[in-house]
Amino acid sequence: MKLSKNFTNPLAANNPVIVQILGICSALAVTVKLEPAFVMGLSVIFVTAFSNLIMSLMRNGVPSRIRIIVQLVVIATLVIVVDQFLRAYMYDVSKQLSVYVGLIITNCIVMGRVEAFALGNKPWDSFVDGVANGIGYALILVIVAFFRELFGSGTLFGFDVLSRFGYVNNSLMLFPPMALIIVGVIIWIHRSINKDLQEK
Amino acid sequence: MAINKNSNAYIIIYTVVMVEIVGDLLAFLATSHQSNQDANVLNDQKVSIMKAFGEADANFDEVVDVCRLTGGELGVVADEAGVQSVFDLLGNRKALSEAEDGLPIFRMRKDDATKYVLPIVGKGLWGDIWGYVALQQTEDNVVITGIVMDHAGETPGLGAEIATQTVQSKFAGKALYNAEGEFAVRMQKGGAQNEHQVDAITGGTKTCDGVNAMLETSIGKYESFLRAQEVEEFACGDDCCDLADYPADGSAIVEPINEEE
Repeated sequence: MKLSKNFTNPLAANNPVIVQILGICSALAVTVKLEPAFVMGLSVIFVTAFSNLIMSLMRNGVPSRIRIIVQLVVIATLVIVVDQFLRAYMYDVSKQLSVYVGLIITNCIVMGRVEAFALGNKPWDSFVDGVANGIGYALILVIVAFFRELFGSGTLFGFDVLSRFGYVNNSLMLFPPMALIIVGVIIWIHRSINKDLQEK
Repeated sequence: MAINKNSNAYIIIYTVVMVEIVGDLLAFLATSHQSNQDANVLNDQKVSIMKAFGEADANFDEVVDVCRLTGGELGVVADEAGVQSVFDLLGNRKALSEAEDGLPIFRMRKDDATKYVLPIVGKGLWGDIWGYVALQQTEDNVVITGIVMDHAGETPGLGAEIATQTVQSKFAGKALYNAEGEFAVRMQKGGAQNEHQVDAITGGTKTCDGVNAMLETSIGKYESFLRAQEVEEFACGDDCCDLADYPADGSAIVEPINEEE
């Protein structure tokens, strides 16, 4: 069925981060700890889902000459909604994410999906596509953050895991290049499983 | 429908309506969440102050007096509006760094009330740095008992390390003034060379310079008060507290604000 393929495709075979290599910059920045990575993932899911839904609803009325501006307004509005919400109810997380919430606006995944999918598809399909792409992004973020927090701080979600076994924290894991290396390893594993993605 | 969606009129009307709707929505959202956000900011300031005191678990409202230093006199701010205005000042770093009188200061009620927290504010390499420093008066000096620092955009792994426990814990126990009565606490490039200094951060020299300037100017504003206290309590009796024990050559960082007393 088309809908389920819409949903599963962005999770693995056409994952926005590890296949399309979009949204890498925030993947490096907010993956030091699991909690901000998790919240960032949820925020992006919200923004991709609703920007897709809203743009799909508006797609017949948007003048094509200013459609990019309209997309930006919709996305920026949603991002501000997320930012205000985090500041009001999750202040600590909002402090950790700092500018990266605002930078969701520039996350290519969001605008890419609106432009490539939502403008040509029905609202429900677009919504599903947005959720799935958001999850695809969040999934990678959480995997990267899992390894970085576990080996960098010895904790998971702030709970002590490794140091009781005498593990000495490797602070190299906390530096941004390590996120890039982990993303690279994930891409490597992913491509060796999905042979059709390998370039000749 | 025969509307030409690419006509200028359609585009202008479309934009105006869209901006109007979005503007209203965001204005509503911002105002409806304002009180919650303000409460978070206030709470965050209180938590930072308690961390500087080294009593992160204690309830701010129960153990701390909010005070202002006006003309060298410490006055407890009791009314709610006054307390709010102190925290508003803390939130406005520019106004805080320019303030000369009515300086905010927090006093711990227990331990004979000799522990104070002062707000500090300055400039790092890329942007503002700020924090709170807890001071305790001793027999002949003023000692840092704790410090909390934060920054707007220092380099991660280098200057940004000032926000970590590792760096901040090094300040604990440092006495502010050396034997000559000069302000001596600083982050020293190449490693601490005396008991007043703290190791600087390798690769974060500019930020450390900013921290030094921040400590010197921010604490300097309170100097006469801090020193008057220390002399009053231990060194001499009645009205001999004319800072005679300290150099008169202007080596003090800021002119005492209660000179005429």
